[in-house]
Amino acid sequence: MKTHANIPDADGFYEALLRAHEGLSDAESNDLDARLVLLLANQVGDQTALLECIEEARRKPASG
Amino acid sequence: MSAETEWKFAPAYELPHWSFVLPPDLASGGGERIRYPVVITGGGLAGLTLACDLALRGVRAVVLDEDDTVGVKGASSRGICYAQKSLEIFERLGIYERIRQKGITWSVGRTFSGKDEIYSFNLKDESHSEQPPFINLQQFYLEWFLVDRIVELGGTDLRWKNKVTAVENEADGDAVVVHVETPAGNYSLECDWLIDATGANSKIRDAMGVEVNASRSTDRWCISDVRFKVPFAVERWTWIDAPFNEGRAVWQHLMADDVWRLDYQMAEDCDPETISKPEVAGARLREQLGPGVEFELVWIGPYQYRDHLLETFRVGRTMFIGDAAHVVSPFGARGGNNGIQDAANLGWKLALVLAGEAGEALLDSYHDERYAAAKENLTITKRTSRFLAPRSAAEHRLRRAVSALARRHEFARRLSNTGRMAQANDYPPSRWAWGGARSVQNVAFDGTTLMRCLREGTRFLGVAVGADAAELARLNALSARWPVDFRSVDAASPLATHLGAAAGTVVLIRPDAYVAAIVPAAMAGSTSVALRAALARDEAMTRAA
Repeated sequence: MKTHANIPDADGFYEALLRAHEGLSDAESNDLDARLVLLLANQVGDQTALLECIEEARRKPASG
Repeated sequence: MSAETEWKFAPAYELPHWSFVLPPDLASGGGERIRYPVVITGGGLAGLTLACDLALRGVRAVVLDEDDTVGVKGASSRGICYAQKSLEIFERLGIYERIRQKGITWSVGRTFSGKDEIYSFNLKDESHSEQPPFINLQQFYLEWFLVDRIVELGGTDLRWKNKVTAVENEADGDAVVVHVETPAGNYSLECDWLIDATGANSKIRDAMGVEVNASRSTDRWCISDVRFKVPFAVERWTWIDAPFNEGRAVWQHLMADDVWRLDYQMAEDCDPETISKPEVAGARLREQLGPGVEFELVWIGPYQYRDHLLETFRVGRTMFIGDAAHVVSPFGARGGNNGIQDAANLGWKLALVLAGEAGEALLDSYHDERYAAAKENLTITKRTSRFLAPRSAAEHRLRRAVSALARRHEFARRLSNTGRMAQANDYPPSRWAWGGARSVQNVAFDGTTLMRCLREGTRFLGVAVGADAAELARLNALSARWPVDFRSVDAASPLATHLGAAAGTVVLIRPDAYVAAIVPAAMAGSTSVALRAALARDEAMTRAA
């Protein structure tokens, strides 16, 4: 699993991600996220990395 | 849906009945208990396949069945998809042609979401066998053909209306005693080996206290065996969310006699009795088939699937096969096919142990190999169950994402899981097969087929790739000491290609068509070493041989 900064234009990506959710209901947003996860998973295509990402995402965020 | 859907039942199937015959144990007046080498309890798919396999190997088994016919709950279609490995086993047992003529051959499967096809597969792409990837046939026909074949072969003692009431081990562990109830009175017999093939609810297993590890799903289904004449494709069609079944899953498969097997997923809180009423089943069918299509019901019934996996398939002199040992959810046809393969795995081992050609420890390999297969099947079918019956909003959401993406993208089609069809499982590396064991398909080569080579007796086939006459003669000298016959095949022959074996190697194929080892031909010694391992022979046995 890569954790160093690997997205060339991080702010641009984040903005595009927010835009994708604009005007959607919560249900539609959730569906979009699910489709996005699957699409991105296929880009990664590395079983170990995928399982590590799932593990990392399941970690409860530190409080504060 | 119209509540007044018309429906009618087809005339019921007339299943064969076999007569109760007074067993010799009772006829002799109940003096000394008679001892038999092998007793099989339960005349279902697994038990009958084993009896037939043993009959061909010259082992006279006693089969005890509490009923006097085939089929379960009347003529329900039950297990219907028979996989290539099973069909190859039946080819060896001599009933394949009958199955092919009666059944429906298919290899293409399609998955739909709503009205759209989102995934398809053609199992022929990976097939090199003389047998097709699948044939559909109602289970009772297959059991019927097996009984006919067992009778034709002779030697097997098929005892109908013989119900096992209790089983106990002799104190010295030297025999199993089986107590039996019949219409003519009760008797007891002894055997070297007891095979429990009494199915999912085995009382023998429970009485022995073997851990079952059972779980039950809340997912409910209704089976409809229905006869109608619509030119639907002869393929496996599955819907994740069928518009004609209130957005739930549906299976559609053709079987023998123009009867279609339709499995409808039902609401979890439904009443099983209500959903299988003929008028309710008829209304569902009308919804699927549209107006004007005539149909007749053959068999309707609800089911709720369950699974279990015994912690061990062998307890001393008792072996568990088929549903008695393992039950998985029905997706992918991994139930009956694995009962059949349990039987094929055990048959040759029992025959060689009884003949003194293999060590008794070889029977432990039955557990090792078939437990590993059952465990793998359990993992695979659980994944399908979970795809078909999402448990939370999140699981529903992910499945919606898969279906939406699958309409446009190949990668998502692979995530859609309405069943991964049964294949012959690989066996893990063990002391019997150091590299593990994988199944060999029934390849045609040199004017014969692998199954024809394995049909006679209980012997390994040593495929010597590119061996010349001198090498073959050296190898053939081993046939006197070991149950093995050698054949030389060209490195370019379909069998060598399928085996992936290079010239100068010998591939040892077991009687159940699994590769035991691949060894260099030049080293006859290593062939012996591999055979000794594959037969679990100890030093003393090897010297005696």
